[in-house]
Amino acid sequence: MPTARSTRSSKLGQTLLYAGLAAWLLLAAAPVLWTVVISLRSYGDAFSAPLKWVAPLTFENYRGLWVEREFHRNFINTLIVTVSVVTISLSVGCLAGYALSRYRGSLGFWLLIIALVFRALPHSTLLPSFHALFDALGIRNTLGALVFVLVAINQPFTIWMLRSFFVGIPQELDEAAMVDGCTRLQAFRRVIIPVMWPGVVTTGLFSFLLAYNDFMLSSALTNADKMTMPAAIAGAITAESDALLMQGVAGAVSITIPLIILIAIFQKQIVSGLTQGAVKG
Amino acid sequence: MKLRSFLGFSLPSAALMLLLLALPMVMTAWLSTRNCALDMQLVTVVQSGPFGPSEVTTQRARLDAAGHPVQVCSFVGADYYRKVLGLDAQANATGSDQNEFFGALRFTLLYVAATTPFVLAGGLALALAMNRVTQRLKGLFIAASLLPFIITPVVGALSIKWMFRDNGLVPHLLSGMGIELFWMAQAWSAQLLVVLYGVWHTLPFAFIVFYAGLQGVPQDSLESATLDGANAWQKLHYVTLPHLAPLVVFVTLIHLMDAYRVFEPVIVLTQGAFTTSVQVLTYQVLLLEDNPYKASAAAVLTIVGIGVLLIPLLRKTWREQRRGY
Repeated sequence: MPTARSTRSSKLGQTLLYAGLAAWLLLAAAPVLWTVVISLRSYGDAFSAPLKWVAPLTFENYRGLWVEREFHRNFINTLIVTVSVVTISLSVGCLAGYALSRYRGSLGFWLLIIALVFRALPHSTLLPSFHALFDALGIRNTLGALVFVLVAINQPFTIWMLRSFFVGIPQELDEAAMVDGCTRLQAFRRVIIPVMWPGVVTTGLFSFLLAYNDFMLSSALTNADKMTMPAAIAGAITAESDALLMQGVAGAVSITIPLIILIAIFQKQIVSGLTQGAVKG
Repeated sequence: MKLRSFLGFSLPSAALMLLLLALPMVMTAWLSTRNCALDMQLVTVVQSGPFGPSEVTTQRARLDAAGHPVQVCSFVGADYYRKVLGLDAQANATGSDQNEFFGALRFTLLYVAATTPFVLAGGLALALAMNRVTQRLKGLFIAASLLPFIITPVVGALSIKWMFRDNGLVPHLLSGMGIELFWMAQAWSAQLLVVLYGVWHTLPFAFIVFYAGLQGVPQDSLESATLDGANAWQKLHYVTLPHLAPLVVFVTLIHLMDAYRVFEPVIVLTQGAFTTSVQVLTYQVLLLEDNPYKASAAAVLTIVGIGVLLIPLLRKTWREQRRGY
C-alpha cells in the first residue's frame, strides 16, 4: 500500500536512478565520442586553447591515413588475421570442447586445469621464445606465425567456453545418431554442430575480438607492411608531428567503427558469452 | 566416449597449446640463464692511404662460412635475474640500475588493488540500477555500456590520453573549476589515469555478469522478505547479495588475471617513462633494449608472480568445490 510519502521518495529515486545511469553512459561513451569529434578537425582545432566546441569539419586526417599512409594494407592484414584465427580456433576448439564434454576420464579434467593455468599466463612472457623460435624457422614477421600464436593463446578460453555449450546438449542425441550407424565424427558433424550453432557463433565472436583487439603480440611479431591496424597506429602514442598524431586519431575511429557495428548486431551473443562461464559455474 | 576418440578429438588443440604455450614457457626459462654475444676478434687490415699502405687494427665480428656473424652463447646462471632485480653489485656501484622488476611489480599490484573494488562496486551498482529501468531502454543502455569493454584496448587508452592531453577536453573542463593539471607530466597523475582507464574498461564486464545473476534471484524470497517487513537495504543485504556471492568471486578471479596483465594503458598513458607493469617490462627489455635473455628473466619472474598471486585463491575455490559449496 503506497503512502504519499513513499510515492514521492520513489519518484525522487527514479530521477536519481536515471541521472546516475545517464552519467555512466556519458562516461562510457565520452572518450569514443570525443575522439570521433576531433578526428574530423585539423590539429589546431582539435587541441586548441581555449577548447573549441564547434570547429570546421575536415576529412583531411582520414584522407592522409587511408590514402597517403595506405591504411588499407593494415586493414587487409587485420582481415586476414581475424578470419584465419576465428576459423582455426573454432575448428580446433569445437573438436576439443566436444571431447571434453563427453569424456568422463581424469585426463579431460587435467586438460581443463592446464588450460585454466594458461588462461592466467601473461602473454609477454612468451615473446622472447617466439622471437627465437620464429627466427630459427625463418617465419618471424609473417601473418601465418601471428595467426597460430593468437589461436594458441585463445585455445584455453575457447575450449572452456565451447565445452560449457556442448555440456548443454544431451548425450542421447549423439548416441541415437551412432545407433543409426554414424561414426563418432559423423555424429559430431551432422547432428551436434547444427544444434551447437548459437554456441559456436558466440565463441567465434570472442575469438574475433581477441584477434582484432590484440596489440602486444601483433606489434612485437610483425612490422612494416605486415602490421595489423592496432599495431600500425602505435606511432600515434609518441607522435612527433601533428599530421601523424591526427592520422592516429582517424585510425582509432576507423578501428572502432567495425566494433560498434558488431555490438549492434551481436549484443545478445556478447552478453550471453560474458555470462556463460559465470552463471553455469 | 572412449579414451581413443577423446585423444583423437582433443589432439589438435592440445598440440597447439603444447607447441605455442608450454614449449615457449620452458624455452623462456632456458633463455633466461643464457647470454649470446657476437664473437669479436681483432683484425689487422692494410689500408691504402694517400701516404702509401698502412696497417690498422680494428674489432670485427667473426663471420662463418656463409658470411653471417658468429654468435657465442654461454650459460650465465642467475646473472640476468640479478640484473632485473637490481642485485647486480657492479650496477649498484654506479647507481645506473635499480630494481626494475620490483618497480614494475609494485605498480602492477597497485593497479590490481586499486581497480578491483571500483570494478566490483561500480558493476554491482550499475546492475542494480539497470534492473529497475523500463524494458524499452534496457537494450540501448546495455549496448552503450558494452563499448568500453569491447573497444580495442590500445584505442581506448589513446582516446583517454587525447581527452586528458594538454589542451584536451578534461583539462579544459577542470580549468573552468580552477584546477590546472598536466596529467601526463608526473607519475601520480599518469598512474591515476591508468587506474581510471582500468575501471572504465572492466566495469562493463562486472556489470553484465552481475546483471545476469540478478535475473536469477528467487522472486519469492524477495516477496516473503517484503511481507516480513524488510526494507530495500535489508533485502539487498540478506537476499540479493548472498545470491550473487559466487559471481563476485568469479569476477574477482577473472579481473585478477587480467589486471595482472595490464599493458596497453601503461604503454600509452605513461609511455613507460614513470611507470612500468610486469608485462611492459618484458616487452620493453625485449624490443627496446633488444635483450631477449634479460627479457626472459623478467618473464620468468612475471610467471612466478601470477603463480603466487593465484595459489591462495585457487586453493580456496578447490576446497569450497570439495565441500560442495
